[in-house]
Amino acid sequence: MKRRLAISIGLLSCSMVAFQVALMQILSISQWNHFAYMVISVAMLGFGASGTALAFLRNHLVPKIGSNLAFLMIFTSLSIMGILFFSRTVFGGFDSYLVFYEKRHYLNLICSYLMLFVPFFLGASALGLAYSHYASDIGRLYFADLAGSGMGGLLMLILLWHVSPSVVPFVIACLPLVAGLLIFRHNGKTVAEKTGLLTLALLALVLLVAGFLNPPILPSSQYKSLSRALLLPDARVVETINSPYGQLKRVSAPALRYAPGLSLGYTGQVPVTEVLFHNGDWLGPLVPMALPEREETVVLSALPGTPDAEGAQESLDGKETGHYLDYSTQALPYVIGTPGKVFVADAATGLQAGYALSRGAKEIVAVEPNSTVVGMVTRNIAVPGEQISFIAGHSRYHVQQDDRYDLILLPETGSFGGSSGILALEEQYLFTLDAFSLLWDRLSPGGMIAATLWVDYPPRSTFKLLATMAVTAESKGVEDPADHIVAVRSWSTITCVLVKNKVSANNIDKIRTFCQSRQFDPLLYPGIHPEEREVYNMLQDKSFFRTTDLLLTREREKLFREYDFQIRPATDSRPYFSQFLKLGRLSKMREVFGSASMPFLEVGYLIVLLTMAQIFLASFLFIVLPLIFKKVPGKGKTSLLVFFSFIGIGYMFAEMVFIQQFTLFFGSPLYAASAVLSAMLFFSGTGSACSQKMVTGSPRLRLVAGVIAVLLALLALFLPSLMKATIGNPLPVKVLLCALVIGPPAFLMGMMFPSAILAIRHVGDGSLIPWAWAVNGSFSVISTALAAVISVEAGYQTVMWVAVAAYLMAGISTRFRLFSIFVK
Amino acid sequence: MARILKYPLTVLLVTAALPALSAILTGTGEQDFARLRSAMVRDQIVARGVTHRATLQAMRTVERHLFVDASLSSRAYEDNPLPIGYGQTISQPFIVAYMTSLLDLKPEDRVLEIGTGSGYQAAILARMADSVYTIEIVKELAASAKKRLQDLGYHNVEVVPGDGYYGLPGNAPFQAIVVTAAAEHIPPPLIEQLGEGGKMVIPVGSQFMVQNLILVEKKKGRITTTNLMPVRFVPFTREETR
Repeated sequence: MKRRLAISIGLLSCSMVAFQVALMQILSISQWNHFAYMVISVAMLGFGASGTALAFLRNHLVPKIGSNLAFLMIFTSLSIMGILFFSRTVFGGFDSYLVFYEKRHYLNLICSYLMLFVPFFLGASALGLAYSHYASDIGRLYFADLAGSGMGGLLMLILLWHVSPSVVPFVIACLPLVAGLLIFRHNGKTVAEKTGLLTLALLALVLLVAGFLNPPILPSSQYKSLSRALLLPDARVVETINSPYGQLKRVSAPALRYAPGLSLGYTGQVPVTEVLFHNGDWLGPLVPMALPEREETVVLSALPGTPDAEGAQESLDGKETGHYLDYSTQALPYVIGTPGKVFVADAATGLQAGYALSRGAKEIVAVEPNSTVVGMVTRNIAVPGEQISFIAGHSRYHVQQDDRYDLILLPETGSFGGSSGILALEEQYLFTLDAFSLLWDRLSPGGMIAATLWVDYPPRSTFKLLATMAVTAESKGVEDPADHIVAVRSWSTITCVLVKNKVSANNIDKIRTFCQSRQFDPLLYPGIHPEEREVYNMLQDKSFFRTTDLLLTREREKLFREYDFQIRPATDSRPYFSQFLKLGRLSKMREVFGSASMPFLEVGYLIVLLTMAQIFLASFLFIVLPLIFKKVPGKGKTSLLVFFSFIGIGYMFAEMVFIQQFTLFFGSPLYAASAVLSAMLFFSGTGSACSQKMVTGSPRLRLVAGVIAVLLALLALFLPSLMKATIGNPLPVKVLLCALVIGPPAFLMGMMFPSAILAIRHVGDGSLIPWAWAVNGSFSVISTALAAVISVEAGYQTVMWVAVAAYLMAGISTRFRLFSIFVK
Repeated sequence: MARILKYPLTVLLVTAALPALSAILTGTGEQDFARLRSAMVRDQIVARGVTHRATLQAMRTVERHLFVDASLSSRAYEDNPLPIGYGQTISQPFIVAYMTSLLDLKPEDRVLEIGTGSGYQAAILARMADSVYTIEIVKELAASAKKRLQDLGYHNVEVVPGDGYYGLPGNAPFQAIVVTAAAEHIPPPLIEQLGEGGKMVIPVGSQFMVQNLILVEKKKGRITTTNLMPVRFVPFTREETR
């Protein structure tokens, strides 16, 4: 029985993690992806609520534990499939974009929460019931749980490559079904139990077959870019690829054109192109990459030390390449010089790479993190392989792999009309001070770093970018950053260029001529006159220019403090370039923009705060309130609450920091998350299996907590430096390093939960265990939102220090009487 | 026989009573709508500094509640955009008024609108200009807007289903162009079709929050833009700016 129970628990845990990942994917495709985060967090509270439910129902469920576990698992399977069949109600019933506008969508949102809550609640109830009844074997069961969770993540990595997101839940639903059937034993069961189980199993089978043969169509919000593009006449999806990176669609329509911030002086045609959409959001157009026709393309000028320097021509006449981006501010770096070697970071569909080629670049390295995008681009447009290396990978990793670049192009950030803060919680490692420092070091003597932003109002992204450039230049010994930064503004875009050498008078003349010919206005170059800044594109708010100038001076620190938005440069520890919200200014924002509009100004961070508030409220309702009304047996329940909440927080915080640190190290968020989660779960599982023999009393439990705190503190201090020093190693060495770093703390962290369960298993005849399960589950979920808030406000390093403090607190709480009843 | 008669009679009575009941419950009869409209102009538009008389008159006249779904008509005069389906919204009243006032229309003007949506903006323009041509790419929206505008008697509005990129060269030049369908570039044909001294206005922002407006002007063949802010925001706290 115990072996089968362990396997069943492994299968169930596998399905829980896999379903969580599948839901994230489905909700990201169908809705605003921040709501995916919010909905999942609340759904995961099913873990906490299951503990509370078990505390009340345990005595009723234990007598027939074999049947009840089987029923709970099969119901989990049915509910996973049920959600998909009710997907119109769940995912289509509410539209996340309308939640702030129509009150009825709140109700739909709550319905969605409840429906998504059910499978997690049922699955977690089965796990909690098994732990509380078979507490003496907790080490082995918890190992099966962790091992199963690890397998769930790996299973999704495979499934998402091969199965459509609408079918994935049906594959996942097989796992709890098998788990339930495996655990059910015929001996000693009544006819009613056998008939009930058979009926449920048959129903599950029918749903499975129906799901595989006729998978439900997932509805998508009408406000997603893809939904709107498909409303265009003759629009159609030409190609779809599903992968762990998300869903990629290639769409064709005769009215799809893309020309960001095109000059109003442009009189040519904007070409119709196919467009790629990632999870229903705009990714980029597929513009053919063509080599420049040499006789027509005349080099404007060249960077000192580059091969074209001698042949550089000064005239603007004839420098046009026929590419429509000649008439965008993105042409600015090519006005300053003709780069021979170009690096295009996060290249998306390769528009910038193609343009660099048309501007005469000899060698272009374009790096895109999503390998399916690289595949789709190279299959559908001809990429000249001799000039362009289009690589799938992490830009910061690849930029360090080669010698110097004449031009490094950063990706467009935000979108036309503002991104509504949608990227606020996205870690943008290319826009941090650490990244700019690294990019500066990879530049050739006259090299440039260029980025184009959409004009936003109130202005914030331009200010943060300029501040990042200025601080970087100063950190590299530049006396006056104003001598090294140029920027040009159209009616809707601003391109900023950080130049390693001082900008010459010759280049300033070219920028002036370029602006005049394109009806752009220069924003920055050395010695710019105020009247030059508003010739074609006037601004109602003149403070924009004053603030811009202030950013390039040493007085910027005061500006960072006083400005209503967060414009202090991002760092690797706080890599949120697009997070502009200052919590202290929320009421002012609401006053000026109104409650309904304000969320669309800075929605990303608000959603996290809202999620946290929701989780705290739900935790109070599910855990604290029942604790008040139901007298928990045994003394010292506060120490129980303290211990299990702190190990929940400590574990999740450490895990999140590890994923963040290893994302840069491995150069891929996906592989970093896989490696970290696998290592954490493997070592924690091993620790859990060994816990019964090694942790035989509260002093040892205290010692384990203390050692974990010391190890995490050491990592908080030295991990970033270790990562930087070893980033150049080959992949197998990196994987080994990852295991060596994560292994020791994870091994010990895995001992904490089962050891404490063992300690309390005799208190109140084991009735404290469900509470422990509830508290640990809830705080694990709270931690995800809390860690996001702490990392935004204080940085990832602080998150790690909080994890250290959490384990210290957990260690201290074992001094209470509750933990003295250790069974050897 | 009496029974047969009784049933339809009951249905008829209930049917007749329902709108009245609805009006009582929601408090939105025709007079109420007029009152709401007047309050909208006073509290949302004039209070924010729009003083263009013709615009204010048009905003007081056009029945905005007839341009939204019946279920949303009671909210038609709120200070928000409202969804109209097909991933689109009817703009916030203040934004419609502000954009219209920027055009400074004259009764003899010919106006082009890109992105008809519900037809509300076209109706406002039609109250102030000689003729309005409006292009909508979503054919369902174009059809419903056309019918609505015809039913409401806006005979100087022509709804053209199709791609607004090319404008309407046959009817150019236009003294004013409104591009309500957000575009990350202004199609060159539209610049070409803007008459000498003409004005074009483009709202920039998401469906739910217009962050700024671009006013494009053509004077002696030269194109200039002005970035205008519908909501004035001084990005420093009061005490710190002192």
